[in-house]
Amino acid sequence: MTERQAGATPDNPQEDQFDAVWGNPRGWRALTIVNHTTIGLRFMITGLVFFLIGGLLAMLIRTQLALPGQEVVGPDLYNQAFTMHGTLMMFLFAVPMMEGLAVYLIPKMIGARDLVFPRLSSLGYWCYLFGGIILCSSLFLDLAPKAGWFMYTPLSSAAHTPGAHSDFWLLGITFVEISAVSAGVELVVSILRSRAPGMALNRMPIYGWYILVMAMMIVVGFPPLILGSILLELERAAGMPFFDPSRGGDPVLWQHLFWLFGHPEVYIIFLPAAGIVSTLLPVFCGRPLVGYRWVVLGVISTGFISFGLWVHHMFTVGIPQLAQAFFSAASMLVAIPTAVQVFSWLATLWLGKPRYSLPMLWLVGFLLVFVCGGLTGVMLALVPFDWQVHDTHFVVAHMHYVLVGGMFFPLMAGLYYWMPHFSGRMPSERLGRWGFWLFFAGFNITFLIMHWTGLLGMPRRIYTYETGLGWDLPNLISSVGSFIMAIGVATLLLDFVLHFRFGRRAAQNPWQADTLEWATSLPPSPYNFASLPRIEDRHPLWTRPDLPQSIARGEHSLATADHGRRETWGTDALTGRPSEIIHLPGNSLLPFIAALCIGVVCISLLAKGYWIALIATVASIGVLLRWSWENGAHPAAAPDARTQPGDLPLHSRTCDGPGRWGMGVTLLANGSLYLSMLFGWFYLWTVAPGGMTGEARLQHWPLLLGIGLLSAAVLWLRRCLKRLRAGDDAQLAGNLTAVTGLGLAQSALLLWALLDAGLAPRASAHDALLMFAVIYLLVHCVLGCALLALQSWRVRLGLVNAECPYEPFVVAPLWQYNLGVLASGYVALLLFPLSWSAS
Amino acid sequence: MNGARGCRRLPTLTAAALTVPLLGGCSGPLSILDPAGPMAQGVAWLWWLMAIFFSLVLLAVGALWIHALRRTPREVTVVEARRIEKCWLIGGGLILPGVSILALLLLGTPVGQRMLPLPVEGEQPLRIDITAHQWWWEVRYPDSGVVTANQLHIPAGRPVDLHLGSADVIHSFWVPRLGGKLDMIPGRTNVLRLQADQPGTYRGQCAEFCGTQHTHMQIVVIAHAEADYQAWVEERAKRRVTPLAGAAGEIFATHCGTCHRVAGVSDGARAPDLSDIGSRPTLGAGVLRNEPGAIARWLHEHRRLKQGNGMPAHDDIDDNQLDAIAEWLETLAP
Repeated sequence: MTERQAGATPDNPQEDQFDAVWGNPRGWRALTIVNHTTIGLRFMITGLVFFLIGGLLAMLIRTQLALPGQEVVGPDLYNQAFTMHGTLMMFLFAVPMMEGLAVYLIPKMIGARDLVFPRLSSLGYWCYLFGGIILCSSLFLDLAPKAGWFMYTPLSSAAHTPGAHSDFWLLGITFVEISAVSAGVELVVSILRSRAPGMALNRMPIYGWYILVMAMMIVVGFPPLILGSILLELERAAGMPFFDPSRGGDPVLWQHLFWLFGHPEVYIIFLPAAGIVSTLLPVFCGRPLVGYRWVVLGVISTGFISFGLWVHHMFTVGIPQLAQAFFSAASMLVAIPTAVQVFSWLATLWLGKPRYSLPMLWLVGFLLVFVCGGLTGVMLALVPFDWQVHDTHFVVAHMHYVLVGGMFFPLMAGLYYWMPHFSGRMPSERLGRWGFWLFFAGFNITFLIMHWTGLLGMPRRIYTYETGLGWDLPNLISSVGSFIMAIGVATLLLDFVLHFRFGRRAAQNPWQADTLEWATSLPPSPYNFASLPRIEDRHPLWTRPDLPQSIARGEHSLATADHGRRETWGTDALTGRPSEIIHLPGNSLLPFIAALCIGVVCISLLAKGYWIALIATVASIGVLLRWSWENGAHPAAAPDARTQPGDLPLHSRTCDGPGRWGMGVTLLANGSLYLSMLFGWFYLWTVAPGGMTGEARLQHWPLLLGIGLLSAAVLWLRRCLKRLRAGDDAQLAGNLTAVTGLGLAQSALLLWALLDAGLAPRASAHDALLMFAVIYLLVHCVLGCALLALQSWRVRLGLVNAECPYEPFVVAPLWQYNLGVLASGYVALLLFPLSWSAS
Repeated sequence: MNGARGCRRLPTLTAAALTVPLLGGCSGPLSILDPAGPMAQGVAWLWWLMAIFFSLVLLAVGALWIHALRRTPREVTVVEARRIEKCWLIGGGLILPGVSILALLLLGTPVGQRMLPLPVEGEQPLRIDITAHQWWWEVRYPDSGVVTANQLHIPAGRPVDLHLGSADVIHSFWVPRLGGKLDMIPGRTNVLRLQADQPGTYRGQCAEFCGTQHTHMQIVVIAHAEADYQAWVEERAKRRVTPLAGAAGEIFATHCGTCHRVAGVSDGARAPDLSDIGSRPTLGAGVLRNEPGAIARWLHEHRRLKQGNGMPAHDDIDDNQLDAIAEWLETLAP
């Protein structure tokens, strides 16, 4: 095969145009790139760097524990090392790596040219990078977090961990989570709304299902931790006692919020990896995955169940027996959908004709290691057994079997499999096999024996141990194993680097795969496909092996770029029927600047420079609004709005584009945060040992009046939009301004109610949480007003009208959401306490 | 230890058990697999049952996978393939985990039930209050008013209810050979029931990460025969220490006594009670074995021996006076 593959053979006269519209700039302008291929690779490379730092910390830990009574590091440094090891591996390696791979692959697999919010991908990446750098810098300042990656309070509180240690964690991780959630939102909407024509949900590649569920889990699962981090940071910085039992708070509330996130997190890491397995195995067996529907159902039910078992991390907290029994059973239940997948893979192997390859080797390793971890997981779900081994090295072993087995092994299989994509070359066989065996052996030597160490009673997180407890030999074996594993990682790295130079050139579709990502050139162009094909079944490249060539020749749809727009299909979420042409924004520096501003907020909060933080916050909001300005019918968003006669409309000329879906999914994340907040409120009232003291001193009438005003505003807005949809834009600007006015009046009432209440947020958890909740409502109402005011301005400028009605439809759900949280907030914050005190 | 012989007889088929000969068995002062009381015994049995069963599952799945990779598949019709698929998915995906989970819950739940501090008939369990501090244990016997630290004296052969609380951060009480662990959380009191079958010494360790010296937050449980236990309590309850005479005594009162209590001498409440310090197995909650001279060493070097501990540096006290204090403290043993 020639240097560039069939996809790039210049049979297509349009190619230069595509390059002009989609091309990536070089030099410092590379900061402006928003293309998913580049962003995905950046995520993965950055993730790899954090993985190596985390790995070095692990080697430090194993060196310290190799022999009894060692003093390689002291307790403080040791505590920083294991805290940062866990934090880096979970937040800065596993999740971003999996997201990066998905960002890279999803559009290619579903036959799209890019993700639907390219600038958001870019923002996500920069937030991740800056947050990661801020967090890691703490290691060099000797200020690294040292209260464990789970940050249990009161240990992480200002009283017991003075200094910026915990702040680095709380602020840095929250910063990184912006990235996780934005990628989650983007992946959900892209998968649902931009699949290739004809790709109904049941024709979607199985990986798409896994990523859809993972992204939904991120959207719902991360906000509880974001909320917890904000509350804990407020407690540390402003003395609001959410978790202080002497002032009506409860430290166990933090554990609930943390594990409400923390357990889904495990599946957020595992599911995309399992998706890799389900993608690769059929290719190497030469037959479709057995039980596609079963697997899809299994993945979805895993997603749901995983939100119902967080308490199994808290069996030793002393919660009621009945609750423990429920969560114990639920934890075991998750074994069923996992077993369905394992046996679907087995059946695929059984019925197919497996061929040997390097990725297959990693898949075999995955199965052995992961099944072992899954089985010890079922053991741990048994409450009495957990009472013994909880927080011992048995759990350390289990967790590494699950995470390394369930994430790292499939990831390596996937990286080898998609390597031709990254480099255009095939992986080596020999060095790659050495890397596998070293890693596999090292891993099992380290962690198999560690089950035993734990059963012999060695707790987690102790920095040294005395001789004579039976722990000496197993620890030494673990340490030796960990160094073998490290050599394995080095070998793998070397193999990766060398293959860019010495690898064999890859042929088109080198593994004879069935999915669309192998229809691109290798490495792919930024637009992936010169024309977008119609998809008739689940295995397009098996049924139409000539698809790569016909795509490259521009024989399918959207094959021109002379209009200067980046285009991809907007299709129906279920059937994949095309409904509009999505025009995507081009390269932009705004995401980089926005992330930079947020970074300044983060650093100045760390340094307690609250004025700078305030200024930077305002600047970030300004940049984000500026960014939102270049949307819809703005000339920068669609340089040339002409379409061919008979073509479907551009999405900005419809009433339902990806932005509306993005708003919906974002509000889902926001709602998860809000519900976590209410959970905290009810928890403190009902379960916390101190019980809530203090009465709701917010006056009822401003809230009731506010609900009335906001209801009127929402109805009015609805009426405007109904008329706009029907093509009537008369008086639109005036109506939108009036609705904004109602919203502002309501915000003012809320503000007055808050000031009037005279809350004492430092004296009681009740007042602190109440104040937090009201401010949450207030911020949302003001945000709704700001966005609608901008809309009415855009109407006046002619950017929104009956021709281009799109944007108000994007903003409207926020107003409905605001009404929902205000009304339910009134019930929870003001009415519920009345009934509780009365009973 | 006697439990070790018991578990060596169990099948060594399992992957974990293969390492048994290598490590010299399951015994160890903190070993879960060397139980010394009914609560720990139940869990040890559960472990062996689960280990054997799950090892078999792991071996079977792994063997199937590798066999599937290596065998030469025969051609099957579409109908046959459907049947085979269904068999795998239903058999392996639903029935195998479903039945295993059910069996596990039926087997495990009663074990857990027996470990709970449920009401008992007849003689009531002995109540002892334990408060965790960074990084030591305060132990109080409400019936007799006895106070001690970093050691727990209990009668063997009957259940003990430990009322667990914390003065600062979250800790967790755990004596592996006697039973499961339970967290000690500020603002709450949790009750843990333990029982030692035979008199003996058992070690415990804080199991929830609690800061810098989490490692050195150990406790020693001493189980006595009933009569010996009663004798210990009585001796401790009525004991009044004769104060140390001279300048050293003065220094003890003004420096040490403001935080430490010694029955009849000082009333400090912030730090461990020292009335029986001479008889404790360890110093600094596990930092030093309490041999002759150890207390003096602790007084001289405690900042280095247990970095971050709450006792002030007291460099202003003369070395000779410190030695005198240490010598006197060593005599405080019931």
